Amino acid sequence: MDLVQLQRQLVDYRTSLYHEGFLDEQFTQLQELQDENNPDFVVEVVSLYFEDSERLLNELSKALEQQIIDFKRIDAHVHQLKGSSSSIGAQRVQKLCIVFRNYCEAQNVEGCLKCLQQVKHEYSIVKTKLESMFQLERQILNAGGSVPV
Amino acid sequence: MAEKSFETTSQACCSTSSESSPILALPMDTPLRKVLSRISGFASSWGKKTVTAPRGRRIFHRDVEQDEFQNGSAHCLSSYYSVFVARLAIMVMLAILIGLLTVLTWHFTRVYTTKSLNTLAYGLRYELLQRPILRMWNVLNSTSEITTAQVKLSEYVIKRYSKPTNQAELIELYQMMKDITWALFASHKALNAITINYRNGFVQAFHRDHRSNNTFYIYSDLANYSISDTQSSQQGWNDQFIHGNESAIWYRQPLDPVTGEKQGKPSQIPPEDLINIAGPSQVPDGVASWHVAVSKYTDSPLLSAALPVRDASNRSIVAIVGVTTALYSVGQLMKELVEVHSGYIYLTSQEGYLLATSTNTPLLNNTANGPKLMMATNSEDRVIRMGAQWLQKTYGNKFPPGHVVHVEKANLGGQHYYIDSFFLNLKRLPMVGVIIIPRKYIMGKVDERALKTLVILISASVCILVIGCVCILILTNGVSKEMKLRAELISHLDARRRAEASSNYKSQFLANMSHELRTPMAAVIGLLDILICDDCLTNEQYAMVTQIRKCSTALLRLLNNILDLSKVESGKLVLEEAEFDLGRELEGLVDMFSVQCINHNVETVLDLSDDIPKVVRGDSARVVQVFANLISNSIKFTTSGHIILRGWCENPIVSSDSGKLSPDQKNPLSALKTKLKQHGNHMKKASKKDNKMILWFEVDDTGCGIDPSKWESVFESFEQADPSTTRTHGGTGLGLCIVRTLVNKMGGEIKVVKKNGQGTLMRLFLLLSTPADGIEQQRRIDFAKHGVAVILALHGSMGRLIMSKWLSKNGVPTLEASEWNELTQILHELFHARTTNSGFDTHYSLAKPLRSKVQTLQDMKNPVYIIVVDLGLLDLSTDIWKEQLNFLDKFSGQVKFAWMLNHDTSNAIKMELRRKGHILMVNKPLYKAKMLHILEAVVKESYVEPPNGSPNGTKGTSKQGDSHECLEIDSSQFETCSSDDSDISEMTGANSASSVGVGEQLKEGTVLKSGPPTLRNCLVEFTRLGLEVNNLRTEEDQCNGRPKLHDTKDVKCENPDSSEQPSVRSNAKDRDNSYTTNKAANEQKTLEGLRILLAEDTPVLQRVATIMLEKMGAVVVAVGDGVQAVEALNCDLDRDENRTNRLQTEICDSPPYDLILMDCQMPMMDGYEATKAIRKSEERTGWHIPIVALTAHAMSSDKEKCLQVGMDAYLTKPIDYKLMVSTILSLTKRSP
Repeated sequence: MDLVQLQRQLVDYRTSLYHEGFLDEQFTQLQELQDENNPDFVVEVVSLYFEDSERLLNELSKALEQQIIDFKRIDAHVHQLKGSSSSIGAQRVQKLCIVFRNYCEAQNVEGCLKCLQQVKHEYSIVKTKLESMFQLERQILNAGGSVPV
Repeated sequence: MAEKSFETTSQACCSTSSESSPILALPMDTPLRKVLSRISGFASSWGKKTVTAPRGRRIFHRDVEQDEFQNGSAHCLSSYYSVFVARLAIMVMLAILIGLLTVLTWHFTRVYTTKSLNTLAYGLRYELLQRPILRMWNVLNSTSEITTAQVKLSEYVIKRYSKPTNQAELIELYQMMKDITWALFASHKALNAITINYRNGFVQAFHRDHRSNNTFYIYSDLANYSISDTQSSQQGWNDQFIHGNESAIWYRQPLDPVTGEKQGKPSQIPPEDLINIAGPSQVPDGVASWHVAVSKYTDSPLLSAALPVRDASNRSIVAIVGVTTALYSVGQLMKELVEVHSGYIYLTSQEGYLLATSTNTPLLNNTANGPKLMMATNSEDRVIRMGAQWLQKTYGNKFPPGHVVHVEKANLGGQHYYIDSFFLNLKRLPMVGVIIIPRKYIMGKVDERALKTLVILISASVCILVIGCVCILILTNGVSKEMKLRAELISHLDARRRAEASSNYKSQFLANMSHELRTPMAAVIGLLDILICDDCLTNEQYAMVTQIRKCSTALLRLLNNILDLSKVESGKLVLEEAEFDLGRELEGLVDMFSVQCINHNVETVLDLSDDIPKVVRGDSARVVQVFANLISNSIKFTTSGHIILRGWCENPIVSSDSGKLSPDQKNPLSALKTKLKQHGNHMKKASKKDNKMILWFEVDDTGCGIDPSKWESVFESFEQADPSTTRTHGGTGLGLCIVRTLVNKMGGEIKVVKKNGQGTLMRLFLLLSTPADGIEQQRRIDFAKHGVAVILALHGSMGRLIMSKWLSKNGVPTLEASEWNELTQILHELFHARTTNSGFDTHYSLAKPLRSKVQTLQDMKNPVYIIVVDLGLLDLSTDIWKEQLNFLDKFSGQVKFAWMLNHDTSNAIKMELRRKGHILMVNKPLYKAKMLHILEAVVKESYVEPPNGSPNGTKGTSKQGDSHECLEIDSSQFETCSSDDSDISEMTGANSASSVGVGEQLKEGTVLKSGPPTLRNCLVEFTRLGLEVNNLRTEEDQCNGRPKLHDTKDVKCENPDSSEQPSVRSNAKDRDNSYTTNKAANEQKTLEGLRILLAEDTPVLQRVATIMLEKMGAVVVAVGDGVQAVEALNCDLDRDENRTNRLQTEICDSPPYDLILMDCQMPMMDGYEATKAIRKSEERTGWHIPIVALTAHAMSSDKEKCLQVGMDAYLTKPIDYKLMVSTILSLTKRSP
């Protein structure tokens, strides 16, 4: 009873994530890649993503605080962030990254700062969403059920 | 005010003209300004009078001018004004000049004439005056002489009779005196009278009346006088004298004028004035006294001179002698003199009494007391009277000294006269002579002439002025026209410049815009391709997506066209310089288009002459684009018939017309050889100097043709021969424009050429360079030596014709058949006739020429027959084709069959053919390379085979692998030749679709491979289900001579034509179905055994990609950046090298990795650098590890960059799973 509800909740939650544009089909692909050989593949990749992104965001914040802003470096960081976001399907972050890069190209400090805030915001949302999803999954797994695809 | 406005106007006018026409202003500047200032000066004086009237008009003019100026078309008006002003100025100047000249000429002429005339007139007057004076002198002198003579004679006589004492003596004395006086008087006819007045009062006188011609002797009565009285005092004499005169009785006795005899009785007369002479008191000093007298006998005054006669002692005056002369002769002379000059002369005494005139008017006044002298002022002659009065009035009594007056212009009664006077100062009789000559006489002509001259001069000047003005008008008219034209030209130039600038902006804009548009379009198409591959689409959605893709492709093509065009127009197009095989490119093109044409029932023929160099340098993509555009254009308008692409090399030595047969047909081989030799030599020579060569091409179709008037304009952009074309055929009209710009860019030209018959003939030439040392003699097997004969059984008449011509030119006899029946007839003729007898022939109605050909074939020794059969000849609609095949099979021992397949030939037929041992199969259309290939295959086979080989050798050979066919399908070419859409993104899209198919295909291939191992050398027919094999191309294997070598090299295909989407769809559907069904099984295996190096810095991506690849069975080595990647590779390479060194025998054919996935943006060393480094290190080993770029920049320029540095493919992030797999497969399967 609980299990079924949990499973449904997970599916609903996931669908809502897709609908609200937090995730895209790339995430689906990730899930497809997960199999018996790599049972925690998605979680692994996503946590990798979290680590990497946090590092990058910190670097970005630091870089933007500098007196002389190295836009090239910022651009490289944002590019990386964009790449990894798109790889896990964090669509919103990815899109913001594109905007961010445009500001970078234009060497617009204010725009960059604004974007950084937005990216951070989006990233935290995605992070909480994903974490809560994984929590649901874990609950299901703990309850002995299987995660619905 | 008005002045100022005018000046500003004129200046404005001037400035506008100078602004508008700088060329014009340069020479016109200063003179025009001067003229203008002058004119403004004129105008100011003139303008003051007419201040009010023209003001409004001027302002109006100004307004108009300003308006015009604002409108930017003031050139004409302002130039018109300036011309008008200049014209006026020149005219005025001319007028002034001519007027001045006229007046001066006239003035000087007149002055000089007058002066000289005056001089002359003065001379004349002087002369005229001199004459009467002389005459007067003469008269006076003669009178005085006579008087003197008389005096002398009288003195002598009186001396003889001195002191007469008695009357008788006295009378004797008087008689004596009378005689001598008569003698003197008679001798001087001109004398009027001689009078002797004695002291005693006795008077003796002779008188001559000139009018009546009578001569009289007048004497006084002697009785009254006494001798004694002579001794009385002086006083007494005087009184007596006077008394005697008064009281004496005078007698007159007529005399014979000649003899002096007395003729009548003397009559008494009163004292006579005529003989009244000066008394002794008047001549006391012995000087002659002069006296003017009048007589009733003459009507002219008389001049009398008197001299005293003294006695012997010379003490006292005895008598006085007087001589009277008429002044008549002087008047006569005057008359004569002056008559000619119509002037007047008169003589007056000092008191003003007229003595003589040149007129006939009487000089005497007849008063009661007898005639009296007349005053000049009272003369009856009008002129004389007026002249005298004038003189009187002017001078009064105060005459200038000497009485000399010269007046040139005296107005007498309305007329001008010259008046000159002179003074004749005689003792006791001063006289004044006056001459009056009308001025008209002397100067009248001059005055008249002067007037006439003036009139003539003025009229002449006016004429000249008018003519000058007309000339100026005409001249300046021309100038003004020129000015107008120049102004127009300048404005046109300006407009053109602006238009060019705007056009430039436009193309710039287009170039930028289309580039910007293209990128998203490429993305759209790529995404659509992915979407099409998606399996969760409903049929409707699928159809829609397909439609969208079609539209997108069309849009992209249009964008590409525009981009190409604007690129060329803005001069940004840079042509590549790379060697490429022209023939092969064109063959590929024809292959591709023939597919389209077959649907249209149009035959595509490639007809390249032999002398076209195999390898040329140039931009292959652009060359192919040119022909692709031309051919697709032709296809569009050709519904039936053929499209021929002809090509030949311009070479004066070699007669390269492929349509003509070589003239020495009997020995074609040697002719060909020498030709080739010549060609080669020539080319070598040419290449040393300049290895550019002109290649001519023609695209000949049998379409609707182009109207000759549009032959030029079809090459303009957006221009179509017929406006309705867009409706029926579509298209934008950019294709031909691009063609022309490209051709021009390549140093060539294109034009539409007149063609016999229907359709269009486009002719172009390109200037392409050949590689300096790349002119190789075309390797050719001497087919004639092998005794090869070809029977062409083909549908397309044009292709057949061209092929057979080419074959016979190369010494290969041919027969042609266009349908099945004909083929069977020929076969019968050839083989049955030979085996059986010739009586059979009657059945067959072969045409005469064909028969003769058959005969020649039969004459050949051991001919190898090749029959090229179009599969279309067989009846494929029913099952008859199998029987037909069987029929042909009967001949398979004697002949070799080469089959021409259609692109849509079903697999069953191919299988059947292969089963029967017909391994020579080529796709339509047939062109030289394919033919050569067939011939060579057959010849090689017959070489290897002993002549007495088994009749069913075909099958055997195929099994033995002696004869094999290698069909190489090279898709890389088609990226460029896929009509005009050389777009990359589309290609990637197409690749994505096709390469998946390839993957499947490979599966099939591997199945085949893993099947019978003997098949390795065998022909691998590329038969992809569903997908058209439109761009299959056969290529002859250069190393065919060796029996064992490669087999299938590379199988790759693509489907660039969007028109075949449905098939793609079905294909995709099939494939996707297969995916869903046996997904796991398939996927696991796809990348089995592949070693992949992944260079990716983002951990997330690295991980994802690794898992993806590993799931498909690949071995993945992940590195974090480019440096690591290069290192990983290098250490492997080193290891490999070591290994190779150790194991000499082992062939090192395996690089450490099968594939590298390279992220482009990485720290330390980015993907591009890494790739370069890897490629560099590979040079040592000769490997080529495929490198696939991973990039987040989804832009085509990135792809270009990737490919430029040596990468093989290109994937965008996020990684598309399927796309990646297909890409990897397509790359890794290339090299086993």
